[in-house]
Amino acid sequence: MDTTQLLKGVLDLAVLAVLRHEDGYGYDILRRLREAGLEEVGDASVYGTLRRLFAAGLLTTYVVPSESGPHRKYYSLNAAGRDQLARSGKLWRSFATTMDALLDERGAAA
Amino acid sequence: MTVTEQEIAEYVGRVRAALADLPPTVREELTEDLPEHLTEVAAEADGSLFDRLGAPEAYAAELRAAAGAPVRKGRNLDQRVAAVVRRIGGGLHTVDARLGPPLGYPSATEFLRLLRPAWWVLRAYLAAMLVTVVTTGGSLGLLPRFGGELLAGLVMLIGFLLASIWLGRRSARLRSWRRWALHASSLVLVVFGLAGLADAEERAGYYSYDPIAVNNPYEQIRDVFVYDSEGHLVQNARLFDQNGNPIRLGYPDCLDEQDPYHANPLLRPYPYCPAQAPFAPRAPVGPSAAPVLPPLSGPSATATPEPTATPSATATPGPTASTDPGATATVTPTPGATG
Repeated sequence: MDTTQLLKGVLDLAVLAVLRHEDGYGYDILRRLREAGLEEVGDASVYGTLRRLFAAGLLTTYVVPSESGPHRKYYSLNAAGRDQLARSGKLWRSFATTMDALLDERGAAA
Repeated sequence: MTVTEQEIAEYVGRVRAALADLPPTVREELTEDLPEHLTEVAAEADGSLFDRLGAPEAYAAELRAAAGAPVRKGRNLDQRVAAVVRRIGGGLHTVDARLGPPLGYPSATEFLRLLRPAWWVLRAYLAAMLVTVVTTGGSLGLLPRFGGELLAGLVMLIGFLLASIWLGRRSARLRSWRRWALHASSLVLVVFGLAGLADAEERAGYYSYDPIAVNNPYEQIRDVFVYDSEGHLVQNARLFDQNGNPIRLGYPDCLDEQDPYHANPLLRPYPYCPAQAPFAPRAPVGPSAAPVLPPLSGPSATATPEPTATPSATATPGPTASTDPGATATVTPTPGATG
């Protein structure tokens, strides 16, 4: 099982998480995810996830004009998004704890 | 290397094409701000979109999965055609990248892109020349004219130059039919330019000479004198080719009032002007300063006389045409011929 497979399930949560404290535009969000250690995440995946979260009403967008480069579309968490982040975060923690315990019991963890 | 708007537009177009099976609303939702997003991506680092994001189709597949859209199943004809076009496009991309380094650029496209302003200038010139041809009715020089006026033509050329450059700088932003119209008009201008070149080449003379006209060895001939093997001038000789057609050479410039062939000079036998024979008659007496043609020795003396040249003959070339090539003179002088 590679990271890509795992990422599929948690990319929503990861994107919501990096937007928790600071709004960001597409490429910026991708960079934050990679800096956080999710190096295998692809641009299309992040962009697709952003589009889906936006369509689901969890994100709002606004355009920031730029003098030097292209205008940037910023994404920010709205109330529904924060709510979703809280719920999904809780779910992930319990899931991760279960997985940790499972791996510990079997002695599989390094 | 900066990514152009055109490159982004093409990339987005191919992503959208790869998502063609999705419902239009879903597809629109997924890709509506993709151009803006790719512009951001392009601004962040160097390299072409293709190099950094992979093939648009792979990008589309990843986007589809991330957005939770249904995975495509069958492929319709449009998509199969698109796949072939894509494969060709991929091949061209490879060729493009291979050709670049020898030219000193990352890709051949990079090099060609530098030549675009030159094309804009050439395009303006060709358009001006096209107007020249239309307004002056086909005559074509090197400078444009408007209705024959050189000054108006130059003003027009400058106007076209400015318009062409303006259009060139905007062409990446043109959409759909405007873009096609631009390409179509470019094609027309290229065809016109090539036709103009071919025309100029022709008028420069590389193809215009008619080799027969230049090298015709019979052009200088004014009269034909036939001598038999004894050196006698043959009067009223007629010449025919292998098909029995009369051979006409020269022109009768010593017109005779009593000439029986006056009505139809083409029926006149040779020589037209026996008095101007280059060799004097051998046997007859009379001091003549003209040189004498010596008789021919050999078997050709067996000339078969044929009564071909009677003035009243109505030109029946049949029997005379079949003369034996071994015989140098098959025509006997007919006494009493006009001359």
